[in-house]
Amino acid sequence: MAGSSNLEFKAEPNLTPLLDVVFQLITFFMLVINFSSDNYDKRVKLPVAESARPVEAAGEGNVDRLVLNIDREGRLLEGGEAQPLHKAVETIRRQAAFVKLNLKITGGKPDPSGGLPTIIVLRADRDTDFQALNSIIKACQANGFRKFAFKAMSSDS
Amino acid sequence: MLDMAFQLLTFFVLTYHAAPIEGQFLMNLLPPQPATSTAEAPSDKPSENLPTTLRTLPTVLKAGPGGRLAQITVGELSVPVESKALEKELDKYLQDPNLPFDQTLIKIDPRLKYGEMMRVINAFSNAFVNAKKTPKLSFDELGPGEGE
Repeated sequence: MAGSSNLEFKAEPNLTPLLDVVFQLITFFMLVINFSSDNYDKRVKLPVAESARPVEAAGEGNVDRLVLNIDREGRLLEGGEAQPLHKAVETIRRQAAFVKLNLKITGGKPDPSGGLPTIIVLRADRDTDFQALNSIIKACQANGFRKFAFKAMSSDS
Repeated sequence: MLDMAFQLLTFFVLTYHAAPIEGQFLMNLLPPQPATSTAEAPSDKPSENLPTTLRTLPTVLKAGPGGRLAQITVGELSVPVESKALEKELDKYLQDPNLPFDQTLIKIDPRLKYGEMMRVINAFSNAFVNAKKTPKLSFDELGPGEGE
């Protein structure tokens, strides 16, 4: 029995395939993680419109955008605060002034229609009255914004 | 190594929230004054903002109880409020070669809910695409006594 010690096996599992799978999963999550979710406000329930196009397909992925979240009461949701119309108008005026200053500094040109090139992205709740929404739109127009993107869910899910 | 990888994986699994797929309708909305001037029925007088060939299809949306869509008037005619039927009706207007409409201005009841408005915009957008035309939509608030 002198040679019995030579027959001992070390049963170590091969972890390489497991590590491969784990790294693949990590890579997947790193790629799909959404770092730009700051603009999403969960208080806003968007309407459903099947023909609404994704941002990339709309061909304005690199254009400067200003996202306005509007709750069902028609208040502008800004930094966790629900602003009534008069405050919302002031916020929009401030943003427009900032865009104009930025255009001046960078030597950018306004839109061919004469308005600011920034796209106003409206994320309004499906139960918002049109009157409240239109007040925000008019405030944007009065401050030089001309381009609007109305957000909607592509499907009910 | 494996511990670290699992910790990373756990972090990503716990913090992952599937972002909803959001779409959008892009519109160029001019300030209220010029937009209102195109709200009238199509006329032969060329607008300053539009080429002569463009014609506006006037549409009025009226709200019922709870801000739901109660009535749609396209041109002079009342059309169904149900999405598919509305789309079918709009196809008649936009695909008829004798009616050269290729843009619309929608007058909206201030009490109408945004979700209902988007339903109509969606129907118009589909109808424009069916008619092989670029969707040109704009809207304005329906004034008191308008669209009666």
